[in-house]
Amino acid sequence: MEPYVEISNLQKKIDDFQLGPIDLAIEPETITALVGNNGSGKSTLLKLIMNLASSDSGNIKLFNTPVGKEDESWQRNVAYLPQSTIGMDAYTGNALKALIESLYPKWDNALFMELINLFDVPLNKRFGKMSQGVQQKLNLALTVARNTPLLLLDEPTAFMDIPSKKFFMDILIDWMDKGDRSIIITSHQVEDIKKLSDYLFVLRNGKVIGNFEKEALTESYKRYWLNSTLPNTAIPGEVSRAHPQIVSNHPEETEIFLQKNNIGWIDRKSLELEEIITLLLTV
Amino acid sequence: MELPIRLAKDSREPIYHQIENQLKALIAGNHLPAGTPLPSIRVLAKDLEVSVITIRRAYQDLEYQGFIQTLQGKGTFVAEIEKKLKNKVKTNSVYETFEKAVETAMNYDYTIEEIEAIFHDVLNTHKKGD
Repeated sequence: MEPYVEISNLQKKIDDFQLGPIDLAIEPETITALVGNNGSGKSTLLKLIMNLASSDSGNIKLFNTPVGKEDESWQRNVAYLPQSTIGMDAYTGNALKALIESLYPKWDNALFMELINLFDVPLNKRFGKMSQGVQQKLNLALTVARNTPLLLLDEPTAFMDIPSKKFFMDILIDWMDKGDRSIIITSHQVEDIKKLSDYLFVLRNGKVIGNFEKEALTESYKRYWLNSTLPNTAIPGEVSRAHPQIVSNHPEETEIFLQKNNIGWIDRKSLELEEIITLLLTV
Repeated sequence: MELPIRLAKDSREPIYHQIENQLKALIAGNHLPAGTPLPSIRVLAKDLEVSVITIRRAYQDLEYQGFIQTLQGKGTFVAEIEKKLKNKVKTNSVYETFEKAVETAMNYDYTIEEIEAIFHDVLNTHKKGD
């Protein structure tokens, strides 16, 4: 199957900040989490995909159509939920729904109403009078109901209460189960990443750290509790050291080295995804 | 329905293999009778906090070995499996458990004779319990 999104050699400079070069393919029926520190370029990447910002070099293709050219047919296939929206304050939920419904031919009104009821959003209220959490719920309903094969979500749960975050996950899982759909989501909520994502695309200050399949990442990090001292030089696979513990991202190589050097360990533990992300973004 | 699958993140057994074996045990032990619908790959991925790639791998292996079947557009179901296969899974899991116990004892430098004594001791407690 052809990827939904194909990004090659994408670069963008904003003042001192350099994003990329980025190469990324999004396969059908996958959820990719964009993970990175604040200001790492996650939101900029989503804007570039949506052609809301222009790149300095490189290519983006959505559903095999280049973005930023005359053919804008790709726009019908993607729904984008930005971190913040402007110009909506004066409109009621009902008015916003009528506007967006008219733009998207595959609009799913039953799904929209289901989400509105689930989240308890008052559609007759003006957007500007709603709390941030309620605005976020309305925006999510307005985005998901467009029924496009690709969904781009920028920090969709930041202001949501705990029950709503759970509903949100169930909604996205149901939505994915309809088939032939993919999601790219940025989130600082570890729970979102754990429960939703198949791949983690990690950015650090604009640079790509990697695109990891979730278990490939969680199964490769191990923490050893050693029973003798280590040589002063770094050992194979070593990521961090706090005597008598070391963390390795190549456990097999680490264990061969330790056995050769007669260094034993009394414990070998996997790391939580949170710790792994922290190591990727700080060490 | 949430399946009673518990993943041991610190185990050397890969996650997809753990899922595969635990589903086999549930099927062989008649906890999931033939025809029971299984969660979709995406739902199980969410419940177990793993990727769909991992679940798909486990489901494919189970389908290949005849434990489950996927019906186009309907979902995945527990297959009708032979008694022989069920018994094999049960025997395998008992053997594996014993092997693990022996390994633990060996790691603590117990001799074969000592392990045998412990084994009889445990069996005797069970006999008395009956």
